[in-house]
Amino acid sequence: MKAFSLLQGLGLSLILLTTEAVAGVATEIPYLQPQVDARQLPPMQQRLPEVPAMPSFADRETGQYGGRLRMLMSKAKDIRQMVVFGYARLVGYDAHLQLRADILQGIEVEDNRVFTLQLRPGMRWSDGHPFTAEDFRFYWEDIASNATLSPFGPPKAMLAQGEAPRFEVLDRYRVRFSWPHPNPYFLPALAGPRPLFIYMPAHYMKQFHADFQDKAELDRLIEQAHKRNWRGLFVEMGRQYKLTNPDLPSLQPWVNTTRPPAERFLFRRNPYFHRVDPQGQQLPYIDEVEINLASTGLIPAKAGSGEVDLQARYLRMDNYTFLKEGEQNGHYRVFLWETGRGAQIALYPNLNAKDPRWRELMQDVRFRRALSLAVNRHEINQVVYFGLARKMANTVLPECPLYKESFATAWSDFDLQAANQLLDEMGLTKRDNRGIRLLPDGSPLELMVQTAGESTEETDVLSLVEDSWRQAGIKLYVKPTQREVLRNRVFSGDAVMSAWYGLPNGLPIANMSPEQLAPTHQDQYQWPQWGRYYETGEGESPTLMAVKELVNLNNAWGRTDSFAYQTEIWQRMLQIHADQVFSIGLVSGVLQPIVVHKSLRNVPEKAFYNWDPGAYFGVHNMPAFYFSQEADHASR
Amino acid sequence: MLSYLGKRIALMIPTLIVISILVFIIIQLPPGDYLESYIAELESQGESVDPQKIAFLREEYGLDKPLWEQYITWAGGFLQGDLGYSFEYNLPVAEVIGDKMWLTILVSFFTILVTWLIAFPIGIYSATHPYSWSDYSLTLLGFLGLATPNFLLALVLLYLANRYFGTSIGGLMDPEFLDQPWSWAKLVSVLEHLWIPVLVIGTSGTAGMIRRLRANLMDELRKPYVVTGRAKGLGETRLLVKYPLRISLNFFIADIGSLLPSIISGAEVVAVVLSLPTTGPILLAALQSQDMYLAGSFLMFLAILTVIGVLVSDIALALLDPRIRLQGGAQR
Repeated sequence: MKAFSLLQGLGLSLILLTTEAVAGVATEIPYLQPQVDARQLPPMQQRLPEVPAMPSFADRETGQYGGRLRMLMSKAKDIRQMVVFGYARLVGYDAHLQLRADILQGIEVEDNRVFTLQLRPGMRWSDGHPFTAEDFRFYWEDIASNATLSPFGPPKAMLAQGEAPRFEVLDRYRVRFSWPHPNPYFLPALAGPRPLFIYMPAHYMKQFHADFQDKAELDRLIEQAHKRNWRGLFVEMGRQYKLTNPDLPSLQPWVNTTRPPAERFLFRRNPYFHRVDPQGQQLPYIDEVEINLASTGLIPAKAGSGEVDLQARYLRMDNYTFLKEGEQNGHYRVFLWETGRGAQIALYPNLNAKDPRWRELMQDVRFRRALSLAVNRHEINQVVYFGLARKMANTVLPECPLYKESFATAWSDFDLQAANQLLDEMGLTKRDNRGIRLLPDGSPLELMVQTAGESTEETDVLSLVEDSWRQAGIKLYVKPTQREVLRNRVFSGDAVMSAWYGLPNGLPIANMSPEQLAPTHQDQYQWPQWGRYYETGEGESPTLMAVKELVNLNNAWGRTDSFAYQTEIWQRMLQIHADQVFSIGLVSGVLQPIVVHKSLRNVPEKAFYNWDPGAYFGVHNMPAFYFSQEADHASR
Repeated sequence: MLSYLGKRIALMIPTLIVISILVFIIIQLPPGDYLESYIAELESQGESVDPQKIAFLREEYGLDKPLWEQYITWAGGFLQGDLGYSFEYNLPVAEVIGDKMWLTILVSFFTILVTWLIAFPIGIYSATHPYSWSDYSLTLLGFLGLATPNFLLALVLLYLANRYFGTSIGGLMDPEFLDQPWSWAKLVSVLEHLWIPVLVIGTSGTAGMIRRLRANLMDELRKPYVVTGRAKGLGETRLLVKYPLRISLNFFIADIGSLLPSIISGAEVVAVVLSLPTTGPILLAALQSQDMYLAGSFLMFLAILTVIGVLVSDIALALLDPRIRLQGGAQR
C-alpha cells in the first residue's frame, strides 16, 4: 500500500532553519505596537507558533503592513465569506490545487485510513489561548459524539463506509483518527471552502456545554440568548463558519468584531495568525477588512464608483464594460479570472419526469444527443459573451488534469442535420403545420424549460437555443420561476427540463470525490429521485445501465486509495457523461470580473475564481494581499 | 363618546386575531419553508447542505411541528412581547428590527412633510384658480411625479448625486459613519443622502393629494354658505380657511389610518433600490426567504398600527367635522 505524506520531510526542516534565521529581524506590526507596548499583547515572536506556516511567495512580493480593505456583501449572513476568503484550514489547497498542511504542521496518512495530525506547538487562538489537542478532543468527544448536539451522529465525511473513526490524543500536539476502511473524503472535507471543523475553542465553548457548566449559570445564559435549550445556545455561540458571535476565538486571518445585526462589519487582524512571509513577517498584511452591506443590484454601481478595494461577488460578465469605464475615476483595475464551473448554463433533462411520455423521451440517449447537437454554441458565445467564453459540453475544464478534448466536443458541435436524423430515427417523424414534431400520441413536442429566473442572462441564452431547436422541430418555452419553486418542481418530476449551472466543480483532481458525476444528491437536476435514493434510501433506484455504472464507479472510488485507480474511475465517469449527455452544457468558461484597487498588490492578474476547490480568494492567499504605500493614498 | 370608544377598542381584539391568523396562513402559502429557501440559496453559490443537518435545523427551529402549533407558539409569544426568532439573522426579531426603526421613521417623517409642503399649497391654489394655465401646469407637475417609476427616478438621482456631488451610492450615510456615534458630520452625511429617497417617495404621493384636495375644496367653494359669507364681506383668506378648507380636509384625516403603518413600511421598492437601512427591505427579504416569524411580526405590527390609525382618524374626524355622528345607522 502506498503511503503519502503531506509532511515534506527534509523540505520542512530546511524551511524551519530559514524561518528561524530571518524571523529575528522582522519588526513588530505597527497596528499592534501600542498593545504590545502596553503589555496587552506579547511581541510578534511569542505570538507565532514555533514553526509558522510559510506559504509559497513564488509569484508574490513581500508587502507592507497596514490599511483597511473594503468589500461589499448583500446580506449580513454573507460575512461567512470571510472564512472562505481567509482560508485558514488544517490542510488546504494551494493555487496549484495541491494539498498542503496549513494550520497543521504536518499530517501523516497511512493507507488513507490512519491520519495523524501534528499541530504547531505554540500556536494560539485569536484570544491568545493555546491551540492544542484538547480542542480536537472536545470536538470529537463532546460535540460529534454527543447525543444532544449531534443527534444524527458525526458528519458524513467522518464516516468510512458508515463507520466512525477511532480517535486518540497522542500528546499535547498530536491527535490521530483511524478508520478500518479508507476514507478519501476526510482531507478534502478539511480543505473545503466550507470546511469540516473538527476542532473547536474548547476553553471558550465549555461554558455553554451542559457537561462542563453548572445548571444555574447555563440556564441564565440560555435565557439571555433567548434560546429554548442549551443545544440552541451552544450552536448559536459556536458558529465557526457563520461568524455571528464576535467573541468566538478563531484561527482565521481576520476576526469579526461586529455583533449582528449591522450594516457594516469590521474584521480586525488576528494577532496570533500562524502564517509568515519569507522574511518572517507575520501575515496578514492588511490590518482591517470592512464589509458594507448594499443591495445586490447596487453593488456593481458602487464598485464602479470606487467604493470597494476588492470585489468579485455580485459582479457579472455583463457588468464588465461598465466597470471598465469607471477604472480611472474609481481608482481600480478590473481583472478577468477564469471560473471553475463545468458550464455557466446547462440544460438538465429530468430523467425522473413524472409524465411517462416525457420520462421515456428523456431517458432516450438519442433524444439528449439530438438536443445537444441542435444548440448553436458559437452563436451564444458571440452574442451574449463577446466571444470570451468557450463552446463545449458540460464537463471538466481544459485546465483540469482529467480533461480530454473528446469530453468537451462530444455531441456539442452544431449539427442540425445529425440532430434531425437522430430524432427521425426515434420515430418522431410526423410534424404539425408549424413544423413541430409530434409525439407518438399526437401532441406536439413542446419542451418547457424551467429556470430560477434570476438573471436575464439565462433567458437571453435560452432564446437563442429556442431558435436553433425550432429547426430541429422542437419548440422550447422558457418558464422563469423562483429558485425554491424550481427545486420542488424538479424534485417532484413536474419540471421536464431545467436550466441551472453546470458541474459544480470543473477543476477536480482524481483524489477529489467524483460524486457530482453520479446520482448522489437530490439536487442533481437530471436525476433528483435517484439522487434522493442514494442520499436517504427512499424513492426509486436508478434504472438505466449507464447510471448504475456511475453509482458503482462512485462507490468504488470511495473504497480505494490508489491514485491511479481513482484517475481511471474519473476518466470512465467523464466518458460516460460525454457519451450519454446527461446534461447539455450551453456555454462554459465565462469569466469573472474582479475589481481590485489600484494600490492593492499581490492579487494575481490571471487566476481562477471558484468555490470548491478554490474558496474564491482563499487559495490565492488573501492574507498576503497588501496596500502599496507608493500609490496615491489620497485616492482611497 | 366613551362607550363608543370602549366598543371600538373591544372590536379591535377579534380583528387583530383574525388578521394574525390570515398573516400566518399567507406567509405559509408559498411552497416550502425557510430551510428550503435557505438550501436553494446556498446551492446557487455552490455550497451544499447535509440532509441530516437540515433535519437537525428543522427540529431546532420547530419547523417539524404542525402549523397550528407553530402559530400558537408565535401568537402566544407575541402577546408577551416576544416577537419570535429570525432564522435569517439568527437573532430575536426585536433585535433585527430595533435600530432600523429610527431611520425608517426619519425617512418617512421627512417624506410626509415634503409631500404636504408640496401638495397643500398646490392643491389650494389649483382649487381657487381652477382651469387656469397655472392650475394645469402645476397639476401636470404632480402627475409627472406620480407617473415616473419610483425606482427609475431613484436610480437617476443616485447617479447624478454621485457624479456631481460625490455622494456615495445608496444607503443613508457615508459608510465611514455607519458605526459611529452621532456627530455634526454624520448628520450632514445623512441629510446629503436623505433628499433622494424623500424626493422620490414624496413626488409619487403628491399628485393624489393635490387632486383630492382640489376636488373637495372646489365642491365646498361653490356651496351657499361660502357665497353668503362672501356676500357679507368676509375676507377671502378667512373665507377659505374657516370652513371650506377645514371640511375638505376630511379625506386627509381619514388618511391617518394608513399613514401610521406607512411610517414603518413606506416605499419598500425605493428602499430596496437605494439600499436604505430601513425596515422595508427587511420585510421584503423576510417574505422572500419565508423567514416567517420576522415577516409575521412585521405584518402584525403594521396591522396593529393600521387599526390604531383608523381609530385615531375616526376620533379626529368626529372632532373636526360636527356633521359626523358616532351613533349612525339606526337614525333613518
